[in-house]
Amino acid sequence: MTPSEGARAGTGRELEMLDSLLALGGLVLLRDSVEWEGRSLLKALVKKSALCGEQVHILGCEVSEEEFREGFDSDINNRLVYHDFFRDPLNWSKTEEAFPGGPLGALRAMCKRTDPVPVTIALDSLSWLLLRLPCTTLCQALHAVSHQDSCPGDSSSVGKVSVLGLLHEELHGPGPVGALSSLAQTEVTLGGTMGQALAHILCRRPRQRPTDQTQWFSILPDFSLDLQEGPSVESQPYSDPHIPPVDPTTHLTFNLHLSKKEREARDSLILPFQFSSEKQQALLQPRPGQATSHIFYEPDAYDDLDQEDPDDDLDI
Amino acid sequence: MAAAATCGSVAASTGSAVATASKNNVTSFQRRGPRASGTNDSGPRLVSIAGTRPSVRNGQLLVSTGLPALDQLLGGGLAVGTVLLIEEDKYNIYSPLLFKYFLAEGIVNGHTLLVASAKEDPANILQELPAPLLDDKCKKEFDEDVYNHKTPESNIKMKIAWRYQLLPKMEIGPVSSSRFGHYYDASKRMPQELIEASNWHGFFLPEKISSTLKVEPCSLTPGYTKLLQFIQNIIYEEGFDGSNPQKKQRNILRIGIQNLGSPLWGDDICCAENGGNSHSLTKFLYVLRGLLRTSLSACIITMPTHLIQNKAIIARVTTLSDIVVGLESFIGSERETNPLYKDYHGLIHIRQIPRLNNLICDESDVKDLAFKLKRKLFTIECITKLRSYDLRSQIYFLSRHLQRKFSIKKNPYFKEPHTLKKIY
Repeated sequence: MTPSEGARAGTGRELEMLDSLLALGGLVLLRDSVEWEGRSLLKALVKKSALCGEQVHILGCEVSEEEFREGFDSDINNRLVYHDFFRDPLNWSKTEEAFPGGPLGALRAMCKRTDPVPVTIALDSLSWLLLRLPCTTLCQALHAVSHQDSCPGDSSSVGKVSVLGLLHEELHGPGPVGALSSLAQTEVTLGGTMGQALAHILCRRPRQRPTDQTQWFSILPDFSLDLQEGPSVESQPYSDPHIPPVDPTTHLTFNLHLSKKEREARDSLILPFQFSSEKQQALLQPRPGQATSHIFYEPDAYDDLDQEDPDDDLDI
Repeated sequence: MAAAATCGSVAASTGSAVATASKNNVTSFQRRGPRASGTNDSGPRLVSIAGTRPSVRNGQLLVSTGLPALDQLLGGGLAVGTVLLIEEDKYNIYSPLLFKYFLAEGIVNGHTLLVASAKEDPANILQELPAPLLDDKCKKEFDEDVYNHKTPESNIKMKIAWRYQLLPKMEIGPVSSSRFGHYYDASKRMPQELIEASNWHGFFLPEKISSTLKVEPCSLTPGYTKLLQFIQNIIYEEGFDGSNPQKKQRNILRIGIQNLGSPLWGDDICCAENGGNSHSLTKFLYVLRGLLRTSLSACIITMPTHLIQNKAIIARVTTLSDIVVGLESFIGSERETNPLYKDYHGLIHIRQIPRLNNLICDESDVKDLAFKLKRKLFTIECITKLRSYDLRSQIYFLSRHLQRKFSIKKNPYFKEPHTLKKIY
């Protein structure tokens, strides 16, 4: 049994959450904060995609390579392609192995690949890049990388790309965070209560309603995911069930409801105009392409059909 | 300006009609002769551009936005030479629909299209346009769709207003290609041959720009500069501004710009509150308006205004556009569970209507409008069911829905009752 088949044979629910995060492709934004860190979830996702046989590139900017690789076993470590920008971010040592142009150049270089193998790019972290690069440049580069496979014509030649970005929400204002979340296909916001971690997952499929899901989880030391039943239900609707639904007809100054007697009285009312059912049937027959119009005139009791012209009495 | 030219020619033709009539020494009220050719659908002797009609209020040349309900709310349609700005909803689900309806209307009418986007390839956008409904059998599908959603109260036959039973619940009808507004089926794609037969130009920003340009402060971002140059080239080369005499019939250029102001265009108003290029977008809109006013074109722009950090920029953008329509979807907001909104998917706000050659603007009385996207149709409805029937709104109601006006008088000139006017 190959390692990838072994991974797929794991618990179904564990696979559900990580699969759903990786299945859509595109940009996956992991928003964490000081209380609920997201790097372990990022490493769990990296391990999952490595075990599935995808090509994994890591742009390590915030922590050192040893710290990132800690906790992974050797076969996963051999599959990761690590680009280190932590040790020498400004490329002062002028070594050959560093990418020219820094992490942005590395991202742009990945736009030009032609492999059919699916690729996962993990950005550790997106906050580091956002603080050093202009937001618009970063958004354009991320969009270019994550949307290489969106052409319907030659979708078979280039494999699916997933970009996992770790974003520390507290470091940025609402502007850049809003801009990045509008670009993201999946957004995971980490939170929790009382030592239990919670993930709000928002999936935006193109041209469909976004789906929202919450999942309690914890990450085991070998970076596999353990899903748990937390205090709240899985798919949480936004409404509070304790507030009764609003009835718009309650506080009106007029009465909208009819009692039975009132309804009978209304039905038996005689209408002021003459209303013969034959005329109604004749008018309600749909007549396609009718050019001329018909006027049905039924004289009232007060109508005067005098043919005399009243203007004749005028003395002009 | 395009509107002045149209008004001038209409005045000239009616003047010549009166002159000939007085020569023949009969009354100037003459019955209109049979139409000369099938393509004339507006004006007595005016060669009109397909898919346009003059406004009944001020003679401005109008094009349809692709949604007849929206046309009605905007006073007949979108005037040629103006900008329709759509403020996107939060998850950008419904504003691409309005964008695509606009482009689809252009293809059905044979207009030239210019599609600009920084996010998607314009060729892909055109592949996803909705299919037009041109047949009678589609009308039957619509009627079934309508009747399936009828509430029980509406099935009661009307006793007083029984003539209104003849009228359809919504304004649906079999449409031929010479009519002004068309209906589209959102669940089907536009047939490939219609797209290929149309004349369209695409502007996809990642292809047109190299990313190493330096930007000077207080100037346009390079993406906007390239887009304006592209639009200007198309207008000049294809003669929409009258510079090259067109040998073919005059046509309208429909410009669609998607997600303007988002970071993908290189503009940082969504990212920072006081960025270096905060005047870029407003300058772009100003120059674009100048280009549009001097050519036969109409433009639709979708903008993610919910991401713009500086509210003053939103106010300036609203002033620089002509018609501003805001979409607010209920997804993820607390209004989703409000029973008043349960049938609808969001609210639509008409924030601004222009005063073109007028002192007042044609604002509709109805302020609370909601939209819903059914499987095939995008409908806009007024949400208050408890409406007050004062005199003014009654006149509005009657003039929009009555199809015939007739009058019977006890006067020898009008002895036989006959129809005086037909209002569609």
